[in-house]
Amino acid sequence: MRPTRRTLLCSPLALAAATLPAAAAAPFRFALTPVFLDNDAAVLTALRAAMEDGLAGGVDLVQRRTYQEITGALLDGSVDAAWTCGYPFLQHRDTLTVLGVPVWRGRPLYQSYLIAAPDDPATGLADLAGGIHAFSDPDSNSGFLVTASDLARMGRTPDTHFSRFIFTYGHRNVVRAVAGGLVRSGSVDGYVWETLAEAEPDLTVRTRVVARSEWMGFPPFVARTDRLEEPGVRACRDTLLNIGQTAAGREALRLLRLDGVGPAEPGLYDGIARRMAEIGRSR
Amino acid sequence: MRVAWFQGLPVTVRVPLIVAGLMVALGLVASHGVLTVLGRLQDARLREIARLHVQGLSVALGPLVPRQEVWEVYDLLDRARAAADGHRLLLTVVSDSEGRVLAATDPRRAPVGSGIAPFTLGATAPEAVRMTGDAVLRVAAPLLYQDREVGRIVTELDVADFLAERSRVRFWLLIGNAGATALLGLAGWLVVARLLRPLGDLVEAMGGKTGVPQAIPEARMPRGDPGLMRLFATYNAMAAAAEARAEAERRLAARERFVSLGRLASSLAHEINNPLGGLMNAADTILSYPDRPEVVRQSAGLIQRGLAHLRDVSRAILDQHRLDRSDQPLRPEDFEDLRLLFGPEAASRGQVLDWRIGADAAALGCHPAAPVRQIVLNLLLNAGAAAGQSGHVALRVVSDAEGLHLSVADSGPGLAADDLARLLASGPLPPGGGVGLRLVHDLVKGLGGTVRHMRDAHRTVIDVCLPAGGAGHA
Repeated sequence: MRPTRRTLLCSPLALAAATLPAAAAAPFRFALTPVFLDNDAAVLTALRAAMEDGLAGGVDLVQRRTYQEITGALLDGSVDAAWTCGYPFLQHRDTLTVLGVPVWRGRPLYQSYLIAAPDDPATGLADLAGGIHAFSDPDSNSGFLVTASDLARMGRTPDTHFSRFIFTYGHRNVVRAVAGGLVRSGSVDGYVWETLAEAEPDLTVRTRVVARSEWMGFPPFVARTDRLEEPGVRACRDTLLNIGQTAAGREALRLLRLDGVGPAEPGLYDGIARRMAEIGRSR
Repeated sequence: MRVAWFQGLPVTVRVPLIVAGLMVALGLVASHGVLTVLGRLQDARLREIARLHVQGLSVALGPLVPRQEVWEVYDLLDRARAAADGHRLLLTVVSDSEGRVLAATDPRRAPVGSGIAPFTLGATAPEAVRMTGDAVLRVAAPLLYQDREVGRIVTELDVADFLAERSRVRFWLLIGNAGATALLGLAGWLVVARLLRPLGDLVEAMGGKTGVPQAIPEARMPRGDPGLMRLFATYNAMAAAAEARAEAERRLAARERFVSLGRLASSLAHEINNPLGGLMNAADTILSYPDRPEVVRQSAGLIQRGLAHLRDVSRAILDQHRLDRSDQPLRPEDFEDLRLLFGPEAASRGQVLDWRIGADAAALGCHPAAPVRQIVLNLLLNAGAAAGQSGHVALRVVSDAEGLHLSVADSGPGLAADDLARLLASGPLPPGGGVGLRLVHDLVKGLGGTVRHMRDAHRTVIDVCLPAGGAGHA
């Protein structure tokens, strides 16, 4: 069908194309973090397909090793949006805005798990003193902040509580480190552990959840606040919030074991903010 | 003992056995060679695996170890292990320059922060690793980064598959070589046995069963082998010559009996002729005085005694003539016959005959009459001839636990070397001379007895000892 003047004038995409032809032609750069089941090609492909349904210029999935790198890229404009953690989002809440929050098991919430070997007699964080501990990332809420703030409540720090601690830069890596016996315990994203329990039960069966944190805001999709009105960012937000409407989106959600993506409720990340405050007070 | 047992086997068995043994030895040497080469190949392969593994890890781990990147080191080791399927590399431990474990593929065996020293025990450098028979080998190498040692790598290699491969090869080599050796050994046996068959025929013909050389039948001559054919032809000629010689000796021995009687003929003729004169006179007396009973009775008695003597002489001659057909046991009467035969011979030479028969009938009865009579007569004739005119000849027959001793002595000059050779040895007959003494030798040997010769200043003694119940007479 040949486009009429009206359709051209009414289409935001057409408007963007008319005003920013070069930018519109560039693919939308979307960053992924270790929250994600890293390196899973099927998930990456499905997610790209789902996002490309709403982003006509195509999607460039950018993978970085650490939250710090993702945040840096987001702030300096190297990427247009990112799926990051609530902790780095709160660290830059004056600059970043939540585009949407994944819904897992009916709620936009998740927990942090403290895991150890199945035969480990520990019943809590205090029992793991003196061992080697694996964190996911120093900017991860579930993979660091929760355990660090729990230790702060005990008047301790990772340095004083554990004989040694390492960062694996991936929640799956934390599970591998504990399952392989490299470390005695680990701090891991509860959503990732539960998803792995379905996808790779041979891995998680070699670990045991020692303790679970309270429910906290799920790692959100974020973008820079000052770029929210950009067509690509708006299209991205719309695509994410409506991801369950397309077949590719439903496939991506199925692989990610998510129910959908919803808007951020006020106060969703207050729990994380409180833990950040506890860490700040202990320093 | 074993060598004697082996040497006791026929040459047609020994040579194939040696051939089969050599093939077994060859098989063992070949198997050893194959296993040695396999061992070298496996060692080279092992060294290559160890070298590549260590070098690869060194390159990847080099920048991580100085920074104490525990997770990265573990992640790399774990992925390398997974990529290697975990079969060959059982355990890899990486330590820092202080010897503290940074990470291992099995952190439970080598916990982070523990010492690496226990894992370096018995470890060798990658370029020196070789199969030792252990299923697990340890390789240790320094971890180099920017030309300095930043840590160490110890790897446990699972070489059970190499050992299994070697066992498999050894097993199949054993089976294969045993089969090939058995096959070749059997073939060698058959071929060599076939090659040696003519030799076996020759050995058998040379007296394998009877002890007497036999000519090889024409049908068994090895016509395909000119050399062997010549050998067999030569052997057959020699066998025929030996047979001819034995036949000649047999004939000579048979004739010797007649010869010995012939040598007595003149004295026996006197022995017959002398009584005949008396008998004629007695007959004339009877004819002249038929009416004088006492003269007739006296002459008749004289005739009767003369005839009895003639009867004894003729019976002795007949018995001696029939000796070879007689199988009677020896009796004292046989020595009386001998005295009757030899006495006139001695008397004709004016010789003194000392005749002593000390053995009783029971002791004599253990021996056959015919050969003993021939032995004694031949010795007496020989002694009589040697003693010469007015000499002394003695016969002494005694029996003891050893057997029957027949001693013939004479006062002659002694036996010549050729005569001694005839009497005492079994070798070929010296040329010239008679066969009487050789006949004595052969008869004594046939009876299982022995002949001894003694000579002192005045007399020659030949002592024949025949064991009681010895071999049957020849």
